[in-house]
Amino acid sequence: MPLIIKDEYPEELFRKDGKRLDGRDIDELRPIKMEVGVIKNADGSAYLEWGNNKIFAAVYGPREVHPHHLAKPDRGILRVFYRMATFSVFDRKRPAPGRREKEISMVVADCLEPILFLELYPGTSFEIYIEVMDADGGTRCACTTAAALALADAGIPMKSLVTAIAVGKIDGKNVVDLSGIEDKAGEADLPIAITWYNEEISLLQFDGDMDLDEMNDFLDKAKEALSKIHQMQLETLKSKYIPLQGETTNEKEGEK
Amino acid sequence: MENETNEEFIEKNTDEEDIEEFGDDETSREVVLPGEVLTEDTKNFLPGRGTIYNSERTKIISLNIGLKQISKNYINVIPLRGFYTPRPGDKVIALVVDKNPVKYKCDINAKDFGTLKPKNTIKRDKNRSYRGSGGGRGRGNGYSREEVNTNKFDIGDILIVKILSADRINKPELTTVGKYLGIRNNGVVISIDPPKIPRVIGRSGSMIKMLKNLTKCNIFVTQNGRIWLKGEDLAHERLLIESIRKIEAEAHIVGLTDRMQEFIMNEKKLRGLE
Repeated sequence: MPLIIKDEYPEELFRKDGKRLDGRDIDELRPIKMEVGVIKNADGSAYLEWGNNKIFAAVYGPREVHPHHLAKPDRGILRVFYRMATFSVFDRKRPAPGRREKEISMVVADCLEPILFLELYPGTSFEIYIEVMDADGGTRCACTTAAALALADAGIPMKSLVTAIAVGKIDGKNVVDLSGIEDKAGEADLPIAITWYNEEISLLQFDGDMDLDEMNDFLDKAKEALSKIHQMQLETLKSKYIPLQGETTNEKEGEK
Repeated sequence: MENETNEEFIEKNTDEEDIEEFGDDETSREVVLPGEVLTEDTKNFLPGRGTIYNSERTKIISLNIGLKQISKNYINVIPLRGFYTPRPGDKVIALVVDKNPVKYKCDINAKDFGTLKPKNTIKRDKNRSYRGSGGGRGRGNGYSREEVNTNKFDIGDILIVKILSADRINKPELTTVGKYLGIRNNGVVISIDPPKIPRVIGRSGSMIKMLKNLTKCNIFVTQNGRIWLKGEDLAHERLLIESIRKIEAEAHIVGLTDRMQEFIMNEKKLRGLE
């Protein structure tokens, strides 16, 4: 007799003290940890821990396109491979890429394309491999953020970084950074990505119901959270080079 | 009025040139990131290498992760990471990965493989006649028919080649005819990040001279991030490789040449290589 576990969601998504189930305020982010240069053989790589999400991103390119018929004679192409590990979710995830993986790969690629100069590399491809080791809501946003970090680490010329976050509505309240359970049991969910080059929205998906005033509120809340995450991205990239610089200058001062 | 402004302009220029001359190791360099605003003063500065205007042309922003550098009125960003783009005239280290009767395919650490045609591997006959030495296909062009084949090199050979032509669309074409070019049968080849090659060479070759003198090794540094080296013995070679790795890791820090000299002297004492 197979064991059947039904998805059960709590009736209330807020605790009695007004905080969310994981103890956050309505506009508080989950703890985020970023690292670049984690995969030695890749041209650029990044690791991102966003709450319970654990994501690796690796960038290769520019290099020859395989299969060759995908190559464009006038510009390069950007290919994203979003995959989830079999152990990343509660039920075992079947390893073959399905509809969801293909969609998210396309969404992330479309979201990153405007910041790259693909027309400078005709007949080539940039490839981003994203592996979700642990998933807990908002993986497409976390993947976009990690992929932008990996691209910058690879030294590919780009106009700016890209940052993404999901905002949504749970139990009638507008909240920032939905976790897995809030995403499933909540009323609305709005992943949003921004390119900092001219502060344009690069990704906007929507699921659920809301009115226009709420939409505006979502965008304001998202902007605030996005700039916080962008700051983290910049610090992560700089931290790869600055500690070394600091070390040697300190040594010199010590000698004097 | 015009004259005065002109003079000012010239003076300013010469000052900055002086700074630039000595500036390679002395000026503190700032690490900038993609999208970072370098200046909002678009009247006095122009975007140079690795930078662009924003869409309203009110700011100059960086495209790479790199070091900010101001030369005259251009703002440049010298990348810390990146890939090699072949340019005609570059001498690079190539690895033969495939061959067929009409060409060799060489890995030159770029997005495309380079092609090396057999006619570019042999010297042209100087006193070529109308008939040529071989006749047939080779008639009159100075190449003898017997030599125009791909028996000279094998798959896996390491060659130093010069790039004859390279652009965005076509595959780069290579040659092994020229000074220092051809097959290398001995020595070690290591590869580092291509943007860090200028630091291994140093300002007007100061770093590479120092490395050569202190480790008594022959070094050939190429633009695609590969370095061929051969020393008296293994210990010297190993010291040199470690030094190059250290240069690669600390490429963005000021005063590199002096620190490397100190490092090598110390290591030589420790290892008893004096």
